[in-house]
Amino acid sequence: MRVLLAVLVVGAGSLLLRLAPLLGADRLPDRLPRIAGWAGLSVLAAFTVRAVLGHHDPAVPGAPVLAALAVAGGLFLAFRGRSLLFAVAAGTACYLVLSAAVSALT
Amino acid sequence: MPDTLPTRRPSPSRPLWRPLDPDVRAGARAMAPMLVAYAPFGLLVGAAVAASANPLAAWLSTWTIYGGAAHLAVLDVLAHGSGWIAAATVGLLVNARLTAYATAMAPAWRSAPLRHRVVAALLLTDAPWALAHNRPSGYRRFYLGAGLTLFFAWPALVTLGMLTGDLLGTVPVADLLPALTLGALVVGQLRHRPAAFAVTAASVSAVATAPLSSGTSLMVAAAVGATAGVLGERAS
Repeated sequence: MRVLLAVLVVGAGSLLLRLAPLLGADRLPDRLPRIAGWAGLSVLAAFTVRAVLGHHDPAVPGAPVLAALAVAGGLFLAFRGRSLLFAVAAGTACYLVLSAAVSALT
Repeated sequence: MPDTLPTRRPSPSRPLWRPLDPDVRAGARAMAPMLVAYAPFGLLVGAAVAASANPLAAWLSTWTIYGGAAHLAVLDVLAHGSGWIAAATVGLLVNARLTAYATAMAPAWRSAPLRHRVVAALLLTDAPWALAHNRPSGYRRFYLGAGLTLFFAWPALVTLGMLTGDLLGTVPVADLLPALTLGALVVGQLRHRPAAFAVTAASVSAVATAPLSSGTSLMVAAAVGATAGVLGERAS
């Protein structure tokens, strides 16, 4: 019952969060969508940073540092215009190589 | 290089749904590689759904919560014995970012019929918004192509995760893939000064608020980043 209630409330609430600005699109001040755009980009950036900081790998000491290096490498490639898949694959490979090297050294 | 992002114009009143429309196909094509990166995350969510006290309810909410982070957060809070109010609060905090996405894309939907806006809301989550953000033309149809692709693929991944179990729980890189994917979409916009301001400020904020819950931290980052973006616009 707890699960049902929780997912019902979050589901309905999430739909409302998505729907309300679109239904009231005509009444939104002109500047607000622009500011919301910055907020949206900021959330995505924060999501990425939190994922790196919260990265947990019991087999590798200093896993968040390695994750930060690997993600930075992948994002740099994306910034330079490489495809999304290439950037993600390079970041992933970078992490695997770094973690294998650190594990071997410790 | 302009210092402000291009203004999105409402699309002319062509039919929204035409599968062979080049913009719809372009949206679907843009989403396809993201699905590969999202797959491990979807499987993890599926494993959490299967392990919950009510897998059917948790699975059905894949379409309504429609966000892996919020879905995992709700199930995690419940798994630790907390009540439904605490779980719902956490889930709504994590999904509060969807309001920012919906507000940001509202101008493109001002002239759209009500049913199209409802469809747009149903499909809204991080990836379709980020992919379509700043697309100068064919915005609605591109968004629809990207959004529909994820809307069908995400529940399929979650369902597969339910069936296969926590196979990926021991793969340490699985949790980095969504971060890499969404981050790769963000960095493409860093050449615009206000976007760089916003992303830098939000990243610093995320580090500073790392001990806080995910929902709270993301909301603080949104506020800090939006302020920095506005300041960046003024400075440009």
